[in-house]
Amino acid sequence: MGFVSGMFMGALFGISIMAGWRYMMRNRSRNRAAKAADIKLLGSLDREDLKKLCGDNYPEWISFPVYEQVKWLNKQLSKLWPYVAEAATIIIRESVEPILEEYRPSGISSLKFSRLSLGNVAPKIEGIRIQSQKQGQITMDMDFRWGGDPDIVLGIEAGVSLPIQLKDLQVFTIIRVIFQLCEEIPCISAVVVALLSEPKPRFDYTLKAVGGSLTAIPGLSDMIEDTVNSIITDMLQWPHRIVVPLGGVPVDTSDLELKPQGKLMLTIVKATHLKNMEMMGKSDPYAVAFIRPLEKFKTKVVENNLNPVWDQTFHLTVEDKETQYAVVEVFDEDIGSDQRLGIAKLPLVDLQPDIEIEINLRLMPSLDMLKIKDKKDRGNIIVKAKYHHYTKEEQDAALAEEKKMLENKEKMRNDGVINSTMDAIDDPTHVSG
Amino acid sequence: MGFISMLLGFSGFGIGVSAGLIIGYYLFIYFQPTDVKKPDIRPLVERDSDTLQNMLSEIPLWVKNPDFDRVDWLNKFIEYMWPYLDKAICKTAKEIAKPIIAEQIPKFKVDSVEFETLTLGTLPPTFQGMKVYVTDEKELIMEPSLKWAGNPNVTVVARAFGLKATVQVVDLQVFAAPRITLKPLVPSFPCFAKICVSLMEKPHVDFGLRLFGADLMSIPGLYRFVQEQIKDQVANMYLWPRTLEVQILDPSKALKKPVGILHVKVLKAMKLRKKDVLGASDPYVKIKLTESKLPSKKTTVKHKNLNPVWDEEFNMVVKDPESQAVEFQVYDWEQVGKHDKMGMNVVPLKELAPDEPKTVTLDLLKTMDPNDVQNEKSRGQIVVELLYKPFKDEDMPTFEDAGAVPKASEKTPPGGGELVVRVHEAQDVEGKHHTNPYVRILFKGEEKKTKHVKKNRDPRWDAEFKFTLEEPPVNDKLHVEVCSASSKIGLLHPKESLGYVDISLGDVVHNRRINEKYHLIDSRNGKIQIELQWRTVS
Repeated sequence: MGFVSGMFMGALFGISIMAGWRYMMRNRSRNRAAKAADIKLLGSLDREDLKKLCGDNYPEWISFPVYEQVKWLNKQLSKLWPYVAEAATIIIRESVEPILEEYRPSGISSLKFSRLSLGNVAPKIEGIRIQSQKQGQITMDMDFRWGGDPDIVLGIEAGVSLPIQLKDLQVFTIIRVIFQLCEEIPCISAVVVALLSEPKPRFDYTLKAVGGSLTAIPGLSDMIEDTVNSIITDMLQWPHRIVVPLGGVPVDTSDLELKPQGKLMLTIVKATHLKNMEMMGKSDPYAVAFIRPLEKFKTKVVENNLNPVWDQTFHLTVEDKETQYAVVEVFDEDIGSDQRLGIAKLPLVDLQPDIEIEINLRLMPSLDMLKIKDKKDRGNIIVKAKYHHYTKEEQDAALAEEKKMLENKEKMRNDGVINSTMDAIDDPTHVSG
Repeated sequence: MGFISMLLGFSGFGIGVSAGLIIGYYLFIYFQPTDVKKPDIRPLVERDSDTLQNMLSEIPLWVKNPDFDRVDWLNKFIEYMWPYLDKAICKTAKEIAKPIIAEQIPKFKVDSVEFETLTLGTLPPTFQGMKVYVTDEKELIMEPSLKWAGNPNVTVVARAFGLKATVQVVDLQVFAAPRITLKPLVPSFPCFAKICVSLMEKPHVDFGLRLFGADLMSIPGLYRFVQEQIKDQVANMYLWPRTLEVQILDPSKALKKPVGILHVKVLKAMKLRKKDVLGASDPYVKIKLTESKLPSKKTTVKHKNLNPVWDEEFNMVVKDPESQAVEFQVYDWEQVGKHDKMGMNVVPLKELAPDEPKTVTLDLLKTMDPNDVQNEKSRGQIVVELLYKPFKDEDMPTFEDAGAVPKASEKTPPGGGELVVRVHEAQDVEGKHHTNPYVRILFKGEEKKTKHVKKNRDPRWDAEFKFTLEEPPVNDKLHVEVCSASSKIGLLHPKESLGYVDISLGDVVHNRRINEKYHLIDSRNGKIQIELQWRTVS
């Protein structure tokens, strides 16, 4: 055999073992990587992929809607609902009562929950869609539907004490939840919740007066509807949003919050051919202009005139030019509550910055197309509008000014000077910003 | 000669092999790249039928089984969140490992152990389907099918005796199907008290373990052996019915169960104010616990007495001694009309030391508002004795967990037991004239009824009834009937039956606990959920 030849063969043997080992390593590694790639792909299949995979035996019950269905989540939610309803009652009472107080219309002196139970029917999530529109943020859109049977009684004081029962609540809306990501467990630093404005959120309910009639307080159901609509559009509907920082991680949520984008200089020039609501003489019209229900301005009253000329200019804060619109409402001043003569809306999306345009708007009885019962002409209102986009310094100044104004209004309300924060400011020469 | 040459040959061979191994190692393995590459993922449409064939074995469960739902939106969510999750988890892992390593190092005479690289890779775990089970119990059961074929890179470098050893874990693949059960369900957020996780099958685990650059897991026999070992270890700990339990809320607190009893003795009242125009008042006391759904208790009426002596005792069940209070309200009994209020006062339960009786003399007030002007008038005083006894662990009304049937109370005769009937809810009950359902239970001549629920086809009562029996009801039946009553005057049919069911009790005695939905007879589609328990003393 020989020592050398033995050594030679041994070396060869050793080397071949190592070579064999490396070959197997490569093989296994390749297999694992291929499997990983496969599984990654299979985690997000779409129709084309599935057709290719299954060929002729494509299962027919599979579909790929834009909003993915979550049947399993609905099943769990309906099982969990009685417990969630009980747990949520306390939280809702604590968080919604102050909001009701803030948005309370001036005809009502007290608005609180006297009974709150969310009922037996669980809400349903029709679909979920996930996108990431900005680095570090995940956007989740949920199609939320609730045809519930809650038992909510609002204690309303408006001269008389009238408890109102809210029944048959139907909510159809798409909720957008934006998760802000960070690098600490639990990896989510803040959550932003808003209702998408397209399609418009629907909150339908029937009101019933407990032990009395709804007509006991005139205009009450309209006032409640106004309040609910204002709360929804002003607090929840995009571009407004609720920002909830998740505890534990201090985070700067200032860029998630809504900031004033610019200002609208709206001049209410005059109105023509107003409808006469008085039996004797003519109406005494004045106009109210606003973008946000909490920031309303009103003109002087022109007495006994169906073609009044006001020529007053107001500065309104614009938060999102793309989706917001300015509302102009004309009222007839009366003893008792003032009657609405007409209302018109002006979308801001088409306004070019710093160019003033004059617009003739047709007054309607209501902004909600479904509520217009008669097509009688209510006249026109002529306004001039100019939009100015804020620079960074102007934006910061406007933010500070807005805070101050809201505080002032709170103070005035607490001192009894005005009835509610939704009242229009009576200062015709008021300019802001 | 031949023998020696053979010996020489073999020894040469031996040396040669070792030399060859070392040379081969340096040639082939040492210079292998140690970084982990991102796998090249080509979309499905570009693949040929052979690679597609390979993929078929990994088809997600939601495609194959209609009872699994697709959760691709969750996969997208995790994919977006993955880079952040990766960093967060690695940071936490390093922080947890540091003290343990620092502790263990001196024991093994090692100089240092540290993580050279620690990342979970770019591929996130994916959910290949989600299935939920709906049972009659108060629990939520979810079974996601989880597959993580990641490309992590965990390199641990240990230095000892001047040598450097690197251990690298790569290509970790874990496929598992855990069953997550949330129970019991409680009425405070997040609405479940415990999470129980258990695996339904042995998980599939595959990874590459590189020691000094050479992948130990590619040695055929060793790889299978290690895999089996890991599978068995994990199975021992977590394979169903064994579970991993994580408690979120304290169940006894979250369920708002009673924690003690308040003994109240109303002794007497003094110097009460005259409320009646003619003669003295007729006082009695109403005692109530705040935040309690239980009805209030009343003393007897002491006629024509402004300094009455009652000496009457009452027991009230306490759920939360920190926030509840006992309210005393003295009324003037009237033959006709509403009884006048004579004065009241409130004692918060947190002022009472447990197991210590306390006699209090309370001034009677108009309201508890300290600024109320009307309180300045003297309305007399009331003397009461209060004793709060919290439940000790033995007395605690047994918290039922996982189907364990508690023992019967001491009053049960030996040989007999307690039959507990819980009426939970009904579904799809409909009356011809009205639907205000309530349940009537008939057992051995004894009848019990639940409350009425107005205008509801899916009523929920959650009512409990107890029957104490001398002997097990093996041959008896329980008659459960859903009825509806309308209070409208002038109806031809004030009461009607919406369906009934006769439940044979032999099953309960043998099984101790039955919780089922029964189809109602005489009803089109109605079902009722009844829970039966048979409790004995032994």
